[in-house]
Amino acid sequence: MSVKYIPVQWNRNKWIYDSVMLGAVFGFLWLFLYAAPGFLDHGKPVNGAIVNMRAFGACAFLMLTVILCIGPLARLDRRFLPLLYNRRHFGVMTLFVALSHAGFVLGWYYAFSPHDRYEALLFSNTAYGQLNGFPFETLGLFALLVLMVLAATSHDFWMKFLTPRVWKALHMLIYPAYAAVIGHVGFGVLQDQQAPAFGWIVGLGAAAVVILHAAAAIRERRAGDPAGAVTGDWIAACPAGDIPEGSARITRLPNGDRVAIFRHEGRLSAIANACAHQNGPLGEGRIVDCLVTCPWHGFQYDVTNGRSPAPFTEKVPTYNLRLEGGMVLVDPAANPPGTPVEPLEAGPEGAA
Amino acid sequence: MQIAATIIDLAWAWGITGAVTAAAFLTIGMGRIDEDARGAWIFRPLIAPGVMLLWPLVLWRWWVLETGRDDWQLRHAPPRRVHGRLWLAFAILVPLIFATALAVRQDWPAGIEPQRLDGGQG
Repeated sequence: MSVKYIPVQWNRNKWIYDSVMLGAVFGFLWLFLYAAPGFLDHGKPVNGAIVNMRAFGACAFLMLTVILCIGPLARLDRRFLPLLYNRRHFGVMTLFVALSHAGFVLGWYYAFSPHDRYEALLFSNTAYGQLNGFPFETLGLFALLVLMVLAATSHDFWMKFLTPRVWKALHMLIYPAYAAVIGHVGFGVLQDQQAPAFGWIVGLGAAAVVILHAAAAIRERRAGDPAGAVTGDWIAACPAGDIPEGSARITRLPNGDRVAIFRHEGRLSAIANACAHQNGPLGEGRIVDCLVTCPWHGFQYDVTNGRSPAPFTEKVPTYNLRLEGGMVLVDPAANPPGTPVEPLEAGPEGAA
Repeated sequence: MQIAATIIDLAWAWGITGAVTAAAFLTIGMGRIDEDARGAWIFRPLIAPGVMLLWPLVLWRWWVLETGRDDWQLRHAPPRRVHGRLWLAFAILVPLIFATALAVRQDWPAGIEPQRLDGGQG
């Protein structure tokens, strides 16, 4: 949690995460360059720049694939949450690997042009009207630009500054970027029918991303956060007895916002479900030392006022509650972030 | 070729405008619109690339926050409804692109041996 912004809030988990990630990147590059040229069929006489270009390109593709798999995996099984913890460093590292790939491309294919190499990249193939020989370089350039924007806006400052709506809209560009990468690889290296291994790797990677996202979407539809029933000006969330001690039930309001209703020491309090840090689902966290702990990055809030403990400054909106016939009703009008609300005396857990 | 040169020139102009915006925002604006940034200087160089890339967006948000037009509720309302539609489009588009790329592949002429470009002729 933060009092003042710092470049990176390093801790032991982040060191471990980044070390494993760096080790995996170097391991992959070594494997690609030295251990598996026969399997990948790039043992043919091509020069070092091309082999390096392929190695970094394949590494960036796999990293992007893993990044896109982490989100739905964590939604499907909480055991994958540790992978989500430092995903932004994963994204930044992917950008540097992709930039290395682009550097090898520019340094070989465009190094001997009489024109500026960046200009040559843009005008050397302009056959946009046909699929055969489609200028796949432009697709890669688009994906690279998106990775740059995402990496450049990965600091905590940006989501607070731009608002979650704008920031998330920017970061959803990762999906068109991945589709562009599939096109970049498909209309590029996969046109070489003498390298079938690449086709399998790309196909399986893309299939994993698509299937996991579909599975997460189906699960969200079937077992996602339930919508509250409109009861006059209030929203009926759930029976009070259904909320376990130290945990929450999440309900969706008519405007799409989610509210997390917690039971702490037998009393109920409601706060916004989105963590002020990275919009993690607070309602899926537990109360630790009297504070709700976000399952994504461990940010904490007092459920009675939506504030992080001093000296930290994060705040989330709170909601007013009332009980009617054992049912918990939520006032859909959120209180400003950090507004104290007296907890509601509830019956015992599990009571009908 | 002329279009490519123009695109490169526009990219330079965009970057230079972004650098000027970054210099103003990081030294003057940031501390005025975010209390967590006041007195925090070491992290600011990390923000500069984003300002250079997205300077129109930065200027717009700076103006909104400076003039008190910001709506606090927007800071706590992540968009989630759009995910489903986006994933559906993604699930259709990615296999389509992949299948199309495989479908247009052409056979190489048989019997042509590759030649080493950086090796000797012997």
